[in-house]
Amino acid sequence: MATDKELSDFLADVERRAFKQALYAVRKEESALDVVQDAMIKLAEKYGDKPAAELPMLFQRILQNTIRDYFRREKVRSSWISLFSSFGNKQEDQENFDAMDMVEAEEGSYGAETGLGRLERKQVLQLIETEVQNLPARQREAFLMRYWQDLNVAETATAMGCSEGSVKTHCSRATHTLAQALKAKGIYL
Amino acid sequence: MKTKELDFAYKLRHALDQSASDLPTKTAERLASARNIALSRKKQESAVHVVAPQVAFAGRSAGSSSPKLFAWISRAGLVIPLAALVFGLMGIYQFEQRQQIIESAAIDAEVLTDDLPLSAYLDNGFGAFLAKGED
Repeated sequence: MATDKELSDFLADVERRAFKQALYAVRKEESALDVVQDAMIKLAEKYGDKPAAELPMLFQRILQNTIRDYFRREKVRSSWISLFSSFGNKQEDQENFDAMDMVEAEEGSYGAETGLGRLERKQVLQLIETEVQNLPARQREAFLMRYWQDLNVAETATAMGCSEGSVKTHCSRATHTLAQALKAKGIYL
Repeated sequence: MKTKELDFAYKLRHALDQSASDLPTKTAERLASARNIALSRKKQESAVHVVAPQVAFAGRSAGSSSPKLFAWISRAGLVIPLAALVFGLMGIYQFEQRQQIIESAAIDAEVLTDDLPLSAYLDNGFGAFLAKGED
């Protein structure tokens, strides 16, 4: 069983990456924070008695499920909103709504810029994040779990509920897509 | 996976790490508070059941009985509707069976008590049936 300290250390280690992971998926800072909080609470409440070694895989599985739940709720909410807004004249506004516009606006608030180098580095990081965000959901999940959260292929497959072969395929495709997208923008890592 | 791909993936990881370490203070604080909330709700190791004599006073419940009671109530909350559903289905099945028997009995009674139509006597098959019955 994970001790309180082990769980605390694990959450502290993973929280920032989990937040970014959720942000790439839900694209709203507040919602991403809520998702991470829900996932942390579910982990602590339901799996707090599990060994520390199992926590990364369990947390990832919970995080992905929480993100999916968020999208389900959003779908229901947006269907109600579109139902009611069809009575008014705001439908056109909704059609013109692009989630990416919002993301760019929110990302602009990250940190104050000092110096050209820092600005450039920040812009490159933002471009990389945008490309990661634009990956198909399953590819992004596999890529981030495998290379960012350090899960092995078997753990990633368990967390995603798919075969190990699928994980390898998703990771490979994600890497290719990212390499091409960044190359097209003149970014060479 | 090829080494080149792996190398690229780890460079991306480095970039993403940099980006994650650069979160605004407000966001970092919110994450820390989320972590504290989660830790306060941590599931404890399932307690070892120790049989210990307890004295129950009138008007005062014993300490550990209320969680057990809640667990029992929550379990009953699932079992009772299921049992009701099973009994309901059994009742409907019995009722339908009974209705079917009553309906077929009514049809039989009507057939037996009704007057025989003239056309029946003209039917050779019916005549043969009656002759067979007499034998």
